[in-house]
Amino acid sequence: MASILEVENIRKNFGRTEVLKDIRFTMEEGEALSIIGSSGSGKTTLLRCLNFLETPDEGIIRVRGEELFNAAQKGSGSEAVIRRKRLHFGLVFQSFNLFPQYTALENVMLAPSLLAKEDSSIQKETLADRARELLDQMGLSDRADNYPHQLSGGQQQRVAIARALALHPDILCFDEPTSALDPELTGEVLKVIRALAEHKTTMIIVTHEMAFARDVSDRAIFMDDGVIVEQGPSRELFDNPKMERTRKFISSFGG
Amino acid sequence: MFGEVTLSLLQGFGGTLKLFALTLLLSLPLGLIISFGSMSAIGVIRLPVRFVIWVIRGTPLMLQLLVIYFGPGIILHANIWGSGDTGRFIAALTAFVINYACYFSEIFRGGIQSVPVGQYEAGAVLGMTRRQTFYRVILLQVIKRIVPPISNEVITLVKDTSLARIIAVYEIIWKGQSFIKSAGIIWPLFYTGVFYLAFSGLLTLLFGYVEKRLGFFEIK
Repeated sequence: MASILEVENIRKNFGRTEVLKDIRFTMEEGEALSIIGSSGSGKTTLLRCLNFLETPDEGIIRVRGEELFNAAQKGSGSEAVIRRKRLHFGLVFQSFNLFPQYTALENVMLAPSLLAKEDSSIQKETLADRARELLDQMGLSDRADNYPHQLSGGQQQRVAIARALALHPDILCFDEPTSALDPELTGEVLKVIRALAEHKTTMIIVTHEMAFARDVSDRAIFMDDGVIVEQGPSRELFDNPKMERTRKFISSFGG
Repeated sequence: MFGEVTLSLLQGFGGTLKLFALTLLLSLPLGLIISFGSMSAIGVIRLPVRFVIWVIRGTPLMLQLLVIYFGPGIILHANIWGSGDTGRFIAALTAFVINYACYFSEIFRGGIQSVPVGQYEAGAVLGMTRRQTFYRVILLQVIKRIVPPISNEVITLVKDTSLARIIAVYEIIWKGQSFIKSAGIIWPLFYTGVFYLAFSGLLTLLFGYVEKRLGFFEIK
């Protein structure tokens, strides 16, 4: 069976700056993958490429063997086609990006209910129940009718996770999900990500929480200056890094 | 006498309201179009639009009224506005619409540009179309941001309509002034203030209500 995600030779430039160089890795279903590295190493750009927020200059992205992106084939990207492809991925942003004029429940329900209009296989009646279930899972059952400004950062981020899950993505991506949070609020967000990992949700987590990444993810990637320096099983990568750059980076976190 | 003056001023205020309402009706959509022009990535569109906005916002409306009314006659040697009351009204309306559209366009631009890019990206990664993202997510946030500055402009417009007097457009100041000649009294002119006050008071209440209705959510 094909890997759930295959990334081949992704390259991305911003003007003259090479942000990503020859990125290649694969993921298996149910795997949690951490991407670590210093700011500017290209981690976030990589996630944005997977979610079609950036277009790689070179490379191929496949999900379950299906080619979603191939830089060699120009102009295959009409909006409707890209929208469909995007739905293989979910993205949780560093800054939550909840829609302020909708309640927590409405934030979770909005995109699925819009999709239901064009996809008759989605049952509209069950969407609210499903959204409540997800909020419940995030420990937010009593917050369903609150607006984002009435929620703490940690609660907002958990709503954002529920919102991403509501579309059943094949791969859920987290872009530094706790970096915008006060320290006392990171725990509650990490807890729900940990629970998702335990339920074998396929996830890519870009994070600076080293202990968490080591603990929760099956595999880890260390990026520096736009390249993957090292990848492997996360315990191994964190406890026994092979490359000097990886060792330096990890020890700089006092770990 | 008081009743007679009141009736007569009410009639004049009808002219004021007509200019006010038509200016709003035309300048709001035109302002939106201009705001898109001023945000255009294409320099050939953006720069001339910004230039016009600069000229219109940088010169007095009264001067613009005079230029728009008399300018075509001087330059083209033709009276494009037609004769009589209607011609003067159309010229005044044109000046008001251009002027207010430029002010509104800057408000729209500010409102649209202040919505964080993350809102568009969140819509996109959730599989929403650009249209859906705009109508379901962005628009209400823009409206919430622009209601206070728009209400300011609208209330200014109520009083600015009096400038149309300079090209003898029929409105309440003109009417109030006419009593000086016809009856030798000046108080009807002062009395016009009450009409402006009452109407802008009404608008203040209306906008206050709209702001309150939009108070259920907060934006950063």
